[in-house]
Amino acid sequence: MEEMFDNLRADKYPLKEYNYIGRRGPRRIDGFQKASGNAVYTMDVQLPGMLHMRFLTSPYPHAAIKNMDTSKAESFPGVRAILRYDDPELPPIADLGGHVPSAEVVLPGIAHFQGEEVGAAVAADTEAVAEEALKLVEVEWEERPFVLDPEEALKPDAPLAHPELLPNGNHYNAGLLDVLELGDISQGFAEADKVIEFRSERRLHTWIGPERPCGVFRWNGDCPEVWVKQQRPHIAKRVISSWFGGVPMNKIKMHCLYQGASFGGWSQTPWNMAGHYCAAVLAKRTGRPVKWTFTRREDFYGGEMDEGVYYYKVGAKNDGTITAVQGRAVLANQIWPVFHFLKHLVENTRIPNIHGQLFVVKTNKGPTVPVRCEQNANAHSLTLIFDHVADAFGLDPIEVALKNDGADGHDMDWLNERKAERGFEVRDSLRECVEKGKAAIGWYNRWHPPGKKRLPNGRMHGLAFTWDHEWDDSAGSSEMAIRIERNDGTATILGMGSDVGVDAENSYCQIAADELGMRLDDVYYNPQADPGFFRMTPDSSTNMSVNGFAIRHAARILKRKILEAAASPRGKTQRGSFPPAFPDAGPEDLDIKDSVIYLKADPSKKMTMAEFVGPSGVAGPLVSHENLGVRSNFSVPLFAFGYHVQTGTYAPQHLRPRFCRQAHFMEVEVDTETGLIEVTRVVNVNDVGKVINRASCEGQQYGGSYMGVGRGRSEEVVYDPVTGIMLNGNLLDYKMATMLDVGPIDTLLVETGMGYGPYGVIGIGEDIATVMPALLGPAVYNALGIWIDDFPITPDKVLKALSKV
Amino acid sequence: MIKLTVNGQPYEVRVEPEWTLYYLIHDRLGLIGSKQFCDRGACGSCTVIMDGRPILSCMALAIECDGANIETVEGIARASHPLIESYARHHAMQCGYCTPGFIVAAKALLDKNPHPTEEQVKEALAGNLCRCGTYPQHSKAVLEAAEKLLGG
Ligand code: FES
Ligand code: FES
Repeated sequence: MEEMFDNLRADKYPLKEYNYIGRRGPRRIDGFQKASGNAVYTMDVQLPGMLHMRFLTSPYPHAAIKNMDTSKAESFPGVRAILRYDDPELPPIADLGGHVPSAEVVLPGIAHFQGEEVGAAVAADTEAVAEEALKLVEVEWEERPFVLDPEEALKPDAPLAHPELLPNGNHYNAGLLDVLELGDISQGFAEADKVIEFRSERRLHTWIGPERPCGVFRWNGDCPEVWVKQQRPHIAKRVISSWFGGVPMNKIKMHCLYQGASFGGWSQTPWNMAGHYCAAVLAKRTGRPVKWTFTRREDFYGGEMDEGVYYYKVGAKNDGTITAVQGRAVLANQIWPVFHFLKHLVENTRIPNIHGQLFVVKTNKGPTVPVRCEQNANAHSLTLIFDHVADAFGLDPIEVALKNDGADGHDMDWLNERKAERGFEVRDSLRECVEKGKAAIGWYNRWHPPGKKRLPNGRMHGLAFTWDHEWDDSAGSSEMAIRIERNDGTATILGMGSDVGVDAENSYCQIAADELGMRLDDVYYNPQADPGFFRMTPDSSTNMSVNGFAIRHAARILKRKILEAAASPRGKTQRGSFPPAFPDAGPEDLDIKDSVIYLKADPSKKMTMAEFVGPSGVAGPLVSHENLGVRSNFSVPLFAFGYHVQTGTYAPQHLRPRFCRQAHFMEVEVDTETGLIEVTRVVNVNDVGKVINRASCEGQQYGGSYMGVGRGRSEEVVYDPVTGIMLNGNLLDYKMATMLDVGPIDTLLVETGMGYGPYGVIGIGEDIATVMPALLGPAVYNALGIWIDDFPITPDKVLKALSKV
Repeated sequence: MIKLTVNGQPYEVRVEPEWTLYYLIHDRLGLIGSKQFCDRGACGSCTVIMDGRPILSCMALAIECDGANIETVEGIARASHPLIESYARHHAMQCGYCTPGFIVAAKALLDKNPHPTEEQVKEALAGNLCRCGTYPQHSKAVLEAAEKLLGG
């Protein structure tokens, strides 16, 4: 287990042979369930006597409840209970989720954004009855001034968006990363041949999981039984255990069924367990299970953390070497203002002089948290800075990227030294990705000067490139176990996470099968059971790099145990012991392949796992045969667990430089008559270190592309500036990408082994959806020869830009 | 009181006037394969086949379905339609929430047009939204299922 914490270096313990890892085609364990409609999601749960709970929501962007009369609603037929914000049983604050214990108001009496759940929760026989009853709740509101625009919110005389939290102004960075500084900015500008300046904007976009936020709470005596739609069930359990004066963890029964996606989002806000709290109180009062749901619209409040304005000043030499970057950004509502907007320039460029000033402000919109990305603001900056420089100096953006590749202001030689020092192969990941991508999209013959290529169909043609590093690094930990079943010798993986769709469960099986020497069909994982082991759920770019280690440790320990057991007496009873399965052999003489244990020196001496454990399972714990004069075989339970703690680059000491790069290409056609942008081709090249589950990697690539294109081109949550009301909280008016919205997507994978995870893997889930949106800017620029740095780039912006020319 | 047939099973149910077909099928009959995503006719995840036509069950009132013949993903799966197998094989799903809606829409297409082109598949499925972005896999899965159905 010495490898356990050694994730600051190259993996020293790869396998010699991979049977399932990396291969195309292993079965997908959730495939049939999901295709056949049998997969059960929390939204599908129905229990005997179950009630339905809905919240009252604020009609104003900022308002306090002065008086509330719920009497009419209470007497509405079908209403079973109403919980009010002033209920004496509600604690003033409680832990309601988020990464670390939070202290939140369970059911507030003051709303800080329109649509916020406030004042009352109604439990009724059906959702429809609950909704009707909510209309009968009479509220006297005290309306308060509000602010929606981040730059407005920063002004000293701006209305206070959240005076209870921030009485002196809307600016709050909590001292974290407000200023990011590297080198000497004035010296950097002095060295430049040219200095450019530009401003960009990113409007609010949001998560939209297909399954609405929901949950079910039932009391079995004093034991809570809870169904959570949660990316991180371990957080739900921690939180529930802190309620009602303390609920012992071992009394909480969790169900984390299939998840209708997640993308971080809602799951991460420190309020996401409030529905459960209210449901718990009402379930107690009514003696019935209570299911709470948000409406589709309620899921729209909130969003991604890059809404705001960005100002950049960049100095570079004529050959594309960037000497200085100065930036200033005002971003809205970040729940944790811990991500800067210029950090990626530090992490993967050699730019020696950087100064970034970040202002995070509160506005009267919902909370923003990382959504299929933790670094949108950074990817946004990196793409725009590099492509603007390439343009200003008349250079190929790929050359500019390669010229500035590095880390912490150091060049590639320095980065290569770090690779060697940590035991990695010295390879140029960006160049490898770039070459593959260039060939795939035909960069050599299709790239052209901006605004210079009109297609036969009358549209303008654009081609663009961007790059970034791969991520694997949020702090995270995991514990997983494997047990060998009696009778048939199959392996069961134990661990609770949530299946959000990345097919992670199959990947764990692949690792376990390869490490144990078992057939993939003999390894199974049902993540929906709660065995008390909590694994990291695929989030924060941290799935395989954390869970991969945990499952691998468990498998390696378990294999050792199996071989030891095969070579030693198979258990003892009062009447004596049983002979070993492989007499005269030591564990080191044995191995397992295709679920068969065999003697290495003479593979004809073999026994299947089923034969090995079979007899010990016949009698179960009764061993009743012994009473009949026949002794049952018995063997030790074959069980092992592994765990892993991840230390990543969020650590202030900046422990691990990034080595793996990714390259992305986009081809567009812009209709100058209608302003419509068609994304006709996307090429993603990702260095994933090592492929574990090929289909899953590719799934993330095309999935990220669709989400990225949607974010870049059409996704925006629009608020009415006069009333502060959200105008498009539904899927007709909020435009996410459909099947016809992106042309062919090439999914290319590079395996340099330079990730810090097991076998050299690195995360793939988030970066594409993060990097893609800003790529639309350079693509449209290449088509039109005009920069539109206001995202999403909607047709009206295209037409407006064109009419200016 | 309405009568309808769902996946070959006759039902006689008393429905409230405001019930949607989705509510009837999912919440009352327990056929959870129909999923509610957008709740307003924009996403296709609640698609069922009614008298041979794919419809959005969140936009149909149950009361209007008297005498209708309804097919849901459960029926398609029970008949071992090759779409189920090919969807799983091609990983045409991630979280899977939207998947049954796609399969029902694809089944309706194949019933009408057993030999669709890739373009026709895309057109038939373009009304279905998938937040996970599984789109490119669908045409592969549908075309393969079509081939199987034709005995290929
Ligand atoms: S839920 Fe019916 S179309 Fe979206
Ligand atoms: S697979 Fe998740 S919404 Fe389609």
